[in-house]
Amino acid sequence: MIGLIILASFVGIVVVAFSAIVQNTLADAIILFMGVGLGSVILFFVFGAPDVALTEAVIGSGISSLIFLMALKHLKSQP
Amino acid sequence: MNLKRTLQTSTLSGFTLSAILIVTFLNILLQNIPSSVQRVGDELLKLNTTDGVSNAVTTVVVFFRGFDTLGEIAVLFIASLGIGLMLNENKKCEIKAESNFMLKTASKLLFPIIVVYGIYVMVYGHLSPGGGFQGGVIIASAVMLLLISHKNFELSHSVVVILETFAGISYVFIGLIGLLILDVFLANFLPHDVSSMGLLLSGGIIPIIYIVVGIKVGSEMSMIAQDLIKRENDV
Repeated sequence: MIGLIILASFVGIVVVAFSAIVQNTLADAIILFMGVGLGSVILFFVFGAPDVALTEAVIGSGISSLIFLMALKHLKSQP
Repeated sequence: MNLKRTLQTSTLSGFTLSAILIVTFLNILLQNIPSSVQRVGDELLKLNTTDGVSNAVTTVVVFFRGFDTLGEIAVLFIASLGIGLMLNENKKCEIKAESNFMLKTASKLLFPIIVVYGIYVMVYGHLSPGGGFQGGVIIASAVMLLLISHKNFELSHSVVVILETFAGISYVFIGLIGLLILDVFLANFLPHDVSSMGLLLSGGIIPIIYIVVGIKVGSEMSMIAQDLIKRENDV
């Protein structure tokens, strides 16, 4: 069961990361980047590092995605 | 013409950089063929029992690498300073669309719960997974929810400045007290018996430092979010 979870999240990370780099719009790529963070949270937790998992969930897929989205907004508003 | 030249230079430097990185990586990989397994973790776990903190990660981050954590906080401060300087101070961003009433109500409902969870993660950092960085960022994410959903909500600048200054100064001050009493910067001068391991009041200065780190990280991250959401860019 644990092995299945590890394998599924690993394959999920690779698939989501690849689909993030082939996206045409940057906003979609940022949303898929959040998916990469989610997969690594599951991996970190299963491998016994809850501290790192919490940090990745909060900073990796929470704050940094918001900062990317807001930077995108500022780039778009530029003439 | 000019564009072509820059493109070529950047491609060339990119290839050089990746070549250097690959060579370094191979070098590290070939030198560390598992003839001798490194056991730093076991040594740290042995040392961890002398401090009376049940979460070993917290002991490493705050106590054995306490000076390093001070540097990390300085890096975060410089990052928030840079974002604040890049955006225009006087020009507010015009948000035209009013938020949905469901988003408003749900964010009002969720805000206290997220803040209490962040404070829990921050205060119990030496007992359970989590700590100052994570708790501070969770509090900042609650503030961010209100910033996104409410058009007129804004943090008071002076309160954030007071909180952040207090936190930064008290970190250095605790370190200096340790230097005065035990001749080591950031020494654990408060009682830290192994018998009290697992209690809320254990570990000497370690929980205090983590709470201070949480206050600093939370205020800085909230200010970064507010600057990015509410201010117009200058350039």
